[in-house]
Amino acid sequence: MHFFSQTFKYDHPWSHVIIGMWHKYPNPHCTHVVTVDVVDRSVDPETGIVRTERVLGCKQKTPAWIVKLFGGSEDAFVREVSYIDPTAQTATITSVNLSLSQFATCLERIQYIPTSPCQTSFSQTAEIQARMAMWRSMADKMESWLVQRFEQNARLGKAGFSDVLRAMWETKQHEVAS
Amino acid sequence: MAHSLSPECTPLKHAYDSCFNSWFEGYLEPAIANSQKLSEGQRNEYAKRKAEEFEQNCGAVWGKYKECVQKALKDRGLDELLEQARQDNPLRTPPSSQPRRSP
Repeated sequence: MHFFSQTFKYDHPWSHVIIGMWHKYPNPHCTHVVTVDVVDRSVDPETGIVRTERVLGCKQKTPAWIVKLFGGSEDAFVREVSYIDPTAQTATITSVNLSLSQFATCLERIQYIPTSPCQTSFSQTAEIQARMAMWRSMADKMESWLVQRFEQNARLGKAGFSDVLRAMWETKQHEVAS
Repeated sequence: MAHSLSPECTPLKHAYDSCFNSWFEGYLEPAIANSQKLSEGQRNEYAKRKAEEFEQNCGAVWGKYKECVQKALKDRGLDELLEQARQDNPLRTPPSSQPRRSP
C-alpha cells in the first residue's frame, strides 16, 4: 500500500472554487482527462446537499509491461462521487479507478474547505494498493508506477485548476469593474 | 465543456451541463448566505424550492442524456464495472468531515 497526500490553498472564495469545479475540464494541463459524464445527480430537498456521480475517461501512456500482463489499454475510466454541502461549506470528492480495478485500486479523496472569505484549502489523499495476491516485487513495481502517475497528475491538476479559476473569475471581476 | 465518452451523447451532455451550471450558479451563493442568517426551517424551505426548480428546469434534458450515457456505458462494458464499484463503496451518504469552526 502506498499513500499520497498534499494540501494547499487557492486564493479564491469557496463558492468560486466550487462553481469552478464543473469547468475544470477540458484543460490544457490535464489532457489525460478526455471525457466527463454525469451518471447520477441529486439535490437533497432537506439539506440542500448536491451529490454528483461522474465517470471520467482518461487516456494516458501505460507501460508496455502493464498492458502485456494485465491486458489493459490506454483508456482508463474513473468513478467520482462528490458531495457539496453549502450550509457546512464543505465539498468532498471521492474517486476510484474502474479500469484494472481487479488488479489495483487507487482511492482518492479531495476536500475543499474555506479558510477565509477569499481562500480555500484543498486537501488530497490517495491510497494505492495492488489488490490480488501478486508476486511481491511485481506488486511493488505496479504500485510505484501508479504512485508516480498519480503524483504527476496531481501536479498537473493543480496547475490546470489554478488557471481555470483565474480565467473564470478575473474575467468576471474585470467585467464588474469596467 | 468536456466531451461525453460517446460522441452521440455529447450534444445532450452539453445541454445538460449548461442547465446544471446555470441552476447551480444561482443556487450556491444564496445557500451559503442562508446558512448564516436563516433558521433551519427557512433553509429547508429554500433547499426544497431549489431542488424542485432544478428538476423542472433540467429534468427533461437529464432524462435524455442519462438514457444515452447509460447505453454508452453498457456498450463499453463499463456498466458492470460501475455496478461493482457501487457495491464495493456505495458512497450514498456524505463522508464525515472534521468539525468545522463557524465562520
